[in-house]
Amino acid sequence: MIEWQPWLIYSAGTIALVVIGVGLIQILFYIIQLGFAAASLAQRPPVSSPSLLWQRYSERALPIAVLAPAYNEEVTIVESVTSLLALHYPEFEVIVINDGSDDRTLRRLIDHFELKSVERYHDLTVKHAQIRGLYASPRIPSLLVVDKENGGKSDALNAGINVARAPLFCSIDADSILESDALLRAVRPFLEKPDEVIAVGGTIRLANGSRIESGRVIDVRLPRNFLALVQIVEYLRAFLMTRLALSRMEALTVISGAFGLFRRRLALEVGGYSHGTVGEDMELVIKLHRHMRLQKKPYRIEFIPEPVCWTEAPENLTILGRQRARWQRGALETFAKHRDMLFNPRYGRIGFIGFGQILIVDVLGPVVEVIGYVLVPLLWAVGLLSIDYLLAFLAITFTFGIFISVATLILEEMELRRFPRASDLIVLTLISVLENLGYRQLSNFWRLLGVWQYLRKKKGWGTMTRKGFARSA
Amino acid sequence: MRLADLWYISLALALFSLLIMAGLIITRFFVERHKRKVTLERSRIMPLLLDHSSDPSALSERALSKGLLADLTVELVQLVRGEDRDRFVDAATCGGVTATLVRRLTRGSARARATAAEALAHFRGSDSTAALHAALSDRNCEVRMAAALALAETGREPPIEVLIERLGLGSMQISLLVTNLFQKIADRDPAQIEALITDNDVTINVKSAAVDALTSIRGFALAPVVNALVMELDPDSPELPKLIRALGLFQHPAGIPGVSFHLDSRFGWVRAAAAEAAGRIGMMESSSKLAAMLGDIDWWVRFRSGEALARLGQSGIARLREASRRGIEPARSAARLTLAELGIER
Repeated sequence: MIEWQPWLIYSAGTIALVVIGVGLIQILFYIIQLGFAAASLAQRPPVSSPSLLWQRYSERALPIAVLAPAYNEEVTIVESVTSLLALHYPEFEVIVINDGSDDRTLRRLIDHFELKSVERYHDLTVKHAQIRGLYASPRIPSLLVVDKENGGKSDALNAGINVARAPLFCSIDADSILESDALLRAVRPFLEKPDEVIAVGGTIRLANGSRIESGRVIDVRLPRNFLALVQIVEYLRAFLMTRLALSRMEALTVISGAFGLFRRRLALEVGGYSHGTVGEDMELVIKLHRHMRLQKKPYRIEFIPEPVCWTEAPENLTILGRQRARWQRGALETFAKHRDMLFNPRYGRIGFIGFGQILIVDVLGPVVEVIGYVLVPLLWAVGLLSIDYLLAFLAITFTFGIFISVATLILEEMELRRFPRASDLIVLTLISVLENLGYRQLSNFWRLLGVWQYLRKKKGWGTMTRKGFARSA
Repeated sequence: MRLADLWYISLALALFSLLIMAGLIITRFFVERHKRKVTLERSRIMPLLLDHSSDPSALSERALSKGLLADLTVELVQLVRGEDRDRFVDAATCGGVTATLVRRLTRGSARARATAAEALAHFRGSDSTAALHAALSDRNCEVRMAAALALAETGREPPIEVLIERLGLGSMQISLLVTNLFQKIADRDPAQIEALITDNDVTINVKSAAVDALTSIRGFALAPVVNALVMELDPDSPELPKLIRALGLFQHPAGIPGVSFHLDSRFGWVRAAAAEAAGRIGMMESSSKLAAMLGDIDWWVRFRSGEALARLGQSGIARLREASRRGIEPARSAARLTLAELGIER
């Protein structure tokens, strides 16, 4: 047994305490969020049948422009647009923005929907790459295709915002599947608090393993792929726990780019989606917060669990890693750009709770935890740390993680019950335990990679290989 | 507390949550098994509810799950109309559904109470009416609104002042559903809603909802009173564009003073609403003003001005053609593209 110098033991203890302390603050955040999410779910309004929703809201429902940026989506674009056109909503238009695809995305749209070149007077308030042409068909008045030079997702969405005329726009991914009543459910807060609500986010669920027909998820099933299963649990935590809780606390910092509803006028006032960041969805929400706070006007940015958008999760380690590194980079870019809001009383709850969450979970969290994985076991092994430190670290990185995930599953089952089979719950419970044995650590490593990419000022999305939704035979 | 205690606390929490989850999974197995029975029972009850030729009192003679009957009623009542719905409701009433829904209106979550209120809209008996009136004082605003809408559906609502007070319409922002409520009341008694527009004790957003509700019923008869409102309102009131748009929908010259005045508003969203209304009313005297607004700093103003000019007929189109040929940007593009969109040659 080595006799270590007191200052070494003290240093080792301090390092371990910092790691454990940061982890503990995260855990406390999550436990508080669980409480708020539970309260929010218990008090949410009735989930009415689609026919009753239609009866109640259809006359008052605000027109919506659904913006679907598309880049090299020739395989799925026709099916995606067809399912968007079939959404149940009184007044909406679908604006597909072909972002300079170099495959046959545009040609497929033109041929299938018999589109012709048209002229349409549109706004130019937010900047984007040049629009090459607009296409529409008198047969389908609710469809407009914008063909533009490539500029990235933010750029495409900005073109869509400029071209749209509805008071609300819904940003989605071109390969996402919206449930047919998603818009009617998502618009509800705008109707119930018309003077305050400026943006609403809905739930993203993973369609991996589910049966899809004609652009609709008709049979919800769990995937067999372990990575996809783990992501289902992650998405539950992210949406059902974190976003619902932050919405309730009026400190929601992000609405997913795959499904969000915004007031067009305000998005224009903040300059639309920002270029030069991969976290454009988070960036827009933060800009809206800043804008409304500075104007000292009451406002709400809400998340509601009922409207659902289905998307495909990566089932491959390389692609998943790239995605997670990109998300981390996006969070850091937004945090750095708006760091003056952190703990700034001028920005109220957003500054303290919203940005506090980002600081602990996104900025410090992955770095400190990975340092912990390397140092704590090592320092314990060489006798610089007592077993208490190791046990506390295990609590932070393993058992508390199990509790948080399983507690979220409990919320899902008690309030929403969206997994159709009891066997699904067994599988997901098991995954909630297993994800902490390897996947969590890998995920933190990817996030660290994102930190490294951010520090090296890396730009762009990288290659996202889409396999497309698995269709039923 | 020692550091190691964190491990024991976390372990206890993890095990506790896993235990609860195990309980929920077991419950789900039972629920799934029970669901099959419920599905059979539903298939037994549904024809009794929907069969119009059968004796409605037949349901009362059978031993049926009241809760299931109520749930089925809530689901199906939206799908039937007219006399079919009346017979359906009679059958459900004989089966004791009213009593079940009235009970649900006073207990359980806000969600369950609001759903019960919505369903009771179709049950006109005194029990249902009394329960809905009581629900106007529910602690949850969703339940109160659902009860108000349910009462208004069949003309059982209390006087409008009572509704305004119970729903708190004077003291907070109001949901757009209030317009639905006012519309249901106005269908039978428009005078009650119209009185709100000139009532000094009523907030502007209530007045605006009243105007919205009455627009399709009273039409241009409202134009003078709405015009007066529009002239009095603060220029930055969020209700102003809505009321100006309503003047446009009335298409009556009584709205001209208010619309003309606001064509020069310093707020873009107000100018845009005024431009739109000018086109709908057919304000030819404003055509040169609208032509000048094709060059407005605000895109919406330019867009609505272009639309308005097109609505003014040949003189408006002539102005658009002029601007598309000789105007300067942004007026030229606004005019050119407006004509192009309408398929009119420059």
